[in-house]
Amino acid sequence: MSIIYVLIPIAVVFVMIGIAIFFWAVRSKQFDDLDKEGFSILFNEKPASNDKPTDTNPESREP
Amino acid sequence: MLQQRCFHCHEPVPAGTDFHCEVLGQQQTFCCAGCQAVAETIVAQGLSDYYKFRSKAAIKANAIPSELAAQLHSYDSAEVLQDLTAPEGDAQRIELSVNGMSCAACAWLIERQLQQNSAVKRVSVNSGTARCELVWDSAAAPLSQILGQISDLGYQASPFVADSEEQSFQLELNAYLKRLAVSGIMTMQVMMLAFGLYFGEYTGIDAQHEGYLRWVSLLLTVPVMAYAALPFSSSAWRALKARQLNMDVPITLALYYTFIASLYATVFDTGEVYFESVCMFVFLLQLGKFFEFRARKQARDATSNLLKVMPVSATLWDGEHGTPTSARRLQSGDHILVKAGETIPADGQVQSGVSSVDESMLTGEYKAVSKQTGDLVLAGSINHDGILIVRVRSGLTESRLGQIIALQQQTLHQKPAVLEKTDRIARFFVQRLLVIATLTFCAWYFWIDADRAFWVTLSVLVATCPCALSLATPTAITCALAQLNRKGILIKNQHVLDVLPQLTKIFFDKTGTLTEGRFSLTDVQTFTTRYDKDQLLNLMANLEQQSEHPIARAFTPYFRQALPLENVSLTVGAGLSASYQQQQLVIGRPDFCGIDVADPRLNGSQVCFAIDGELAATVQLADQLRAEVPTLVSALQQRGLNLAILTGDASAAAPAVSKQLDISELWQGCSPEQKVSAIQQAVQQGESVLMVGDGINDSPCFHAAHVSVALDSGTELSKNQADVVLLHNDLQQLQTLIDGARRAHRVVQQNLWWAAGYNLVIIPLAVCGFVSPYVAVIGMSCSSLLVVSNSLRLLKA
Repeated sequence: MSIIYVLIPIAVVFVMIGIAIFFWAVRSKQFDDLDKEGFSILFNEKPASNDKPTDTNPESREP
Repeated sequence: MLQQRCFHCHEPVPAGTDFHCEVLGQQQTFCCAGCQAVAETIVAQGLSDYYKFRSKAAIKANAIPSELAAQLHSYDSAEVLQDLTAPEGDAQRIELSVNGMSCAACAWLIERQLQQNSAVKRVSVNSGTARCELVWDSAAAPLSQILGQISDLGYQASPFVADSEEQSFQLELNAYLKRLAVSGIMTMQVMMLAFGLYFGEYTGIDAQHEGYLRWVSLLLTVPVMAYAALPFSSSAWRALKARQLNMDVPITLALYYTFIASLYATVFDTGEVYFESVCMFVFLLQLGKFFEFRARKQARDATSNLLKVMPVSATLWDGEHGTPTSARRLQSGDHILVKAGETIPADGQVQSGVSSVDESMLTGEYKAVSKQTGDLVLAGSINHDGILIVRVRSGLTESRLGQIIALQQQTLHQKPAVLEKTDRIARFFVQRLLVIATLTFCAWYFWIDADRAFWVTLSVLVATCPCALSLATPTAITCALAQLNRKGILIKNQHVLDVLPQLTKIFFDKTGTLTEGRFSLTDVQTFTTRYDKDQLLNLMANLEQQSEHPIARAFTPYFRQALPLENVSLTVGAGLSASYQQQQLVIGRPDFCGIDVADPRLNGSQVCFAIDGELAATVQLADQLRAEVPTLVSALQQRGLNLAILTGDASAAAPAVSKQLDISELWQGCSPEQKVSAIQQAVQQGESVLMVGDGINDSPCFHAAHVSVALDSGTELSKNQADVVLLHNDLQQLQTLIDGARRAHRVVQQNLWWAAGYNLVIIPLAVCGFVSPYVAVIGMSCSSLLVVSNSLRLLKA
């Protein structure tokens, strides 16, 4: 059981790192608007080009 | 057949219009040119993903009148920019408040649109507060260009300066989040170690291992005590310094006693440790406080757009040209130009020009006042239809608007105090608890068993731990707040739910609160056979569309179909004329239509409509009572509340309303100062007072009353200052609010009775030494759990 003398301090270090990351996230305003960030994954990173959507879509419907 | 709806705003598409655009590969129909233009912009910028993912329809996009577009340019003046922005490197930072945002996709849309502008360095839109933080190079692109880009998307953005109170709220919310994280994460760790210790009790554990686990738990609990529990101990310390007792005193006492006892047990390797209880207790209390605070912050943010009322810019007039300047820099003697649709930036005297001016925000009087040379105009009022040259009498801070805001700042600190009920209970409870704990310790130490004295006292303190008692009120209040929020009632002040159950008197503002605050058609008489009534109303609505006058807006609901009108001309203060299918149409005052004022057919009507000089229709207009008001008034009277009307309106309309609603107490023709003193008088007579209002002239008395309520249709200033905002513009919600508060009050009482009853049973047992500290912890947790689940019932109500 003497392994706990090693493992628990390691766990404590991880906890400290986790709290530090959380503090950083709060300071960089990541908790100010939770709705918007949830949406961001749905959108393309780069704005789509100005082509018509049917051109960029390879599975365009047959006329 | 289903009526076709606009692709952009989901409003019905009027017959006879044809607005199309191709979006996401499909032809879509729109209700108006505004929505069509917005959709075209979105598609052209490659942002049509917005339509795929938005969760709510957009707000109908009205094409910006050219005057307002011109007003945007006034933000480009160096003086105005200096007042509104803060430098950041070689760029400027500004905060904008955005109107018309309905969901998170809107935030994405605005961010993407602005990021395509090369002058924009950084942009971040908050969908919750409808604010936009923008850093841009003002040399590369003027602010008006960026505001124009936002309005191309159908939103209205205006510069905004957050008040210091709001910034401190944000800092406090961040502090709450951090404390919550520390106490939550540490609770998990300590609980994990505590499980090791629990199992050790049964299966046996090496003394060495047990000591090690205790020391690690101690180490992890220190940050919780030193950081996360700090608000409780500092509040308790403040109370003690003021020689008072509040709820935080027993909380802090229990926390420190338990912590120090566990510390003692760890260091001297004896007795029991309760580190997991300490952490859990702090975490639960923080969680409740965090949710309550966040709800209040959101309510506050949504309504704090104070600067919108204060005119930002003005146009200086040198006799030939106008130069834009900042409204704050106007001085007595300056000449300014005020165009139609603009807000008048300072108090002054009209030098030339004729117009009608809306002073409703300041006086509560909704009828537009006509102004000509020599008349006085007030800062904050809106110029409707003409161009005015005004000689400034006093700058913004000394203006009537500035005075009202100053009056409101004064009354802010005169809010009648309510002694918090939980604090009274705490005082009662803590005194007795301290006496019992001391007596127990002395009794055991001197007479019974000196060795057990410390542990028996600990179990007394843990068993009577004010956990349940301290959770009783906040959990119930938080649940009630959440439930009312969901119904569209924003509550910004904690004490509102405390006061409402004892409410005795309600003051109502008249215009805009009891009444709709705008004209509507009450009676239409027709005198022609050429058209039926609906066609006539449509004709009139088409004509009146050309005017911004409040009377003209009363006709908007009757607009069916666009008609080709020609030669439309507007005469300020009189009416409109146009030709249609070779007929001359005139609408306006009877004499303007060429009708004899003594004509019996008029019967007191304010508006006439004539075709080719023949009277075609007469229209009666009035500011009608809101539909829900009569039922609300009788429901409130049934609950035993005194009602009173407090209005700035001095006309005969006020007694008529009070008679119609059977409200006998009427204060009419009141200035903002008189309104404040009327309420203060009622407060001095021992009444618990609620004030409902919507105008700037109501906002000073919001602080004089115990609770103030504003409607969402009210002015920004009144919403900012009110304790409660009713989001659906439905006065019936006032009843929902009062009933909700009473229900919350009942739950709080049940919780308090339970907590007190539990303590009465457990204290004698603990004092006699029958309760081991472990049993005390279980009892404490169960009673807390019961209190929390009782409070959760409020969410379902």
